[in-house]
Amino acid sequence: MSRSHFWRNFARVAVLCVVASFVLAPMLATALGGFKSNAEIRMNAFALPQDWDVSFYGAILADPAFWRYLGNSLLISTGTVALTLLVGAAAAYVFAQIRFFGSRMLFSYMLLGLMFPFATAILPLFIKVRDIGLLDTYWAVILPQTAFGLSLAILLFRTFFEQLPKELFEAARIDGCGYVRFFFRITLPLSTPILATVGVFVFVQSWNNFLLPLVVLNSREAFTWPLGMMQFRGEYVTEWNRTLAFVTLTILPAIVFFLAAQKYIVAGLTGGAVKG
Amino acid sequence: MADVQLTGITKTFGAVTVIPDLNLSVPDGSFTVLVGPSGCGKSTLLRMIAGLESPTAGGIRIGGTDVTDAEPSDRGISMVFQSYALYPHMTVAQNIDFGLRLAKVPAAERAARVSEAARILSLEAYLDRKPGQLSGGQRQRVAIGRSIVRHPEVFLFDEPLSNLDAALRTQMRVELAQLHQSIGATMIYVTHDQVEAMTLADQIVVMKDGHIEQVGAPMELYDRPASEFVASFIGSPKMNLLPGRAIARDDVKIAGIRPEHLHIESEGQWRAVAKVVETLGADTIAYMDAEGLGEITVRLPGHIRLKAGERLALSPEAANLHLFGHDGRRMEHSA
Ligand SMILES: Nc1ncnc2c1ncn2[C@@H]1O[C@H](COP(=O)(O)OP(=O)(O)O)[C@@H](O)[C@H]1O
Ligand SMILES: [Mg+2]
Repeated sequence: MSRSHFWRNFARVAVLCVVASFVLAPMLATALGGFKSNAEIRMNAFALPQDWDVSFYGAILADPAFWRYLGNSLLISTGTVALTLLVGAAAAYVFAQIRFFGSRMLFSYMLLGLMFPFATAILPLFIKVRDIGLLDTYWAVILPQTAFGLSLAILLFRTFFEQLPKELFEAARIDGCGYVRFFFRITLPLSTPILATVGVFVFVQSWNNFLLPLVVLNSREAFTWPLGMMQFRGEYVTEWNRTLAFVTLTILPAIVFFLAAQKYIVAGLTGGAVKG
Repeated sequence: MADVQLTGITKTFGAVTVIPDLNLSVPDGSFTVLVGPSGCGKSTLLRMIAGLESPTAGGIRIGGTDVTDAEPSDRGISMVFQSYALYPHMTVAQNIDFGLRLAKVPAAERAARVSEAARILSLEAYLDRKPGQLSGGQRQRVAIGRSIVRHPEVFLFDEPLSNLDAALRTQMRVELAQLHQSIGATMIYVTHDQVEAMTLADQIVVMKDGHIEQVGAPMELYDRPASEFVASFIGSPKMNLLPGRAIARDDVKIAGIRPEHLHIESEGQWRAVAKVVETLGADTIAYMDAEGLGEITVRLPGHIRLKAGERLALSPEAANLHLFGHDGRRMEHSA
């Protein structure tokens, strides 16, 4: 290995370490904070705990409320992901595949949603959800989240679908395959990279969403974990260690979801379709 | 088995007319090759027969049935694409099977047809692989297999060999010819390569700018090209196209003579200087500069030794002169 090569690699690794530490250090501090006493957290936020006190983690894990919050979050997030992927992909497929009168205008209209700030919509959204009678249900969170996630999903899906070789559809048509079947049998299986990418994005947004559940969920039964965490904070005003332990435990499902989706986020799946 | 009849086919894209009023008859069981320079509308014509494109005007009949407005899958055709168009997430077997599955063919029959196609195309060892794990030639075989299993009455090919290297192309050409002999279905094959057209076809359709220049058996086109364009397109090396004054006739725009119909004679009418000489073994091809007439190519017997820079006199076989009038069409001999 030449010297310049070594230094270039060294610089690259160093930069990556710094960037990684920006992400990892707070996470590590959070995870470790769950083992510390409140006094220790204030003095030594980033050090290893003097005594590894597992009682806070234990208490949270033993609390049925924690599992209920987690379950609610999981249901709402997976519901949002499933609905966004299905509706977004289907809509994008139509935009990519079929030319119809007004399709460009309709598409541009959909993209307007990208520029619409969520917080501004919260009051009308609350009124609408209340009028439909969905308050305190999962749908009150799932449906608005899906609606707001669709713009980006459709934009990304359409770009991806348009890059699939046209001949695939023509070959399928000759084989006797219609639009709908082609969507499920060919388009979706070939689109796992973009499905996984959008899926992770939507999942994380939904998982961490605070404002919408706060407004539309009132009963503890339906609370998602960010709301649950607020309750913890209310009960133990100064007990940061419990809050940190709680946060650490709620991050885990999101990480698991990411790791599961990550292996599909690889391009080049269409290799071998055309030419060679 | 089915013939294909095209009557008054017209195709326009927006304001551009790609194919103006075309009539063509493809006999049952024939191997018909559509050949022409790229952009002349061959693919468009084939896609209209397939049903992937609908004609602006005119009618298409396959086996006597009007299919002008029928879905591709209802026409009894199959098509092999230049880019293969295999489904990348399915195995070879699934790729071949896909159409049968959609047609709800019973499982036992499907398995039998797939293994038959695999046997014909020597794909048995690859049935469980994905297209990405195959070479170009194997992929093209899978694409052909996908056509065969549907037992179509008409096979359509759009430049199926143009992504393969030269050796593989020759081999696949032979396999396609054998396939046609053993299946006996009607085949319509698009190419821009006149060698493929000459070797595969029993009927060649030469196209130019969306219209048909000439239809005929390969040797008919070779021996009696109907126009200057066909004369220059069919045959390799190309026919020499000399100005009419070469044979001292004003009414002739072009006098064509194939390289093998020129002979070296001391009393020859045209003087020429050899510029490049290619020795191919059986033949020697000499690219020469004829005085006052421009370039001229001569095919000589292989044993003749000729050096660049040598001066010769050439004379054409009078019976094999092709005369084209000022409209570019063939003139009959009246000498
Ligand atoms: N979908 C289309 N829209 C507009 N023009 C097209 C379309 N398809 C083909 N053409 C035009 O039609 C002409 C013939 O194309 P094509 O049939 O593909 O030629 P070939 O296969 O002989 O090379 C070309 O000039 C091409 O630009
Ligand atoms: Mg073409």
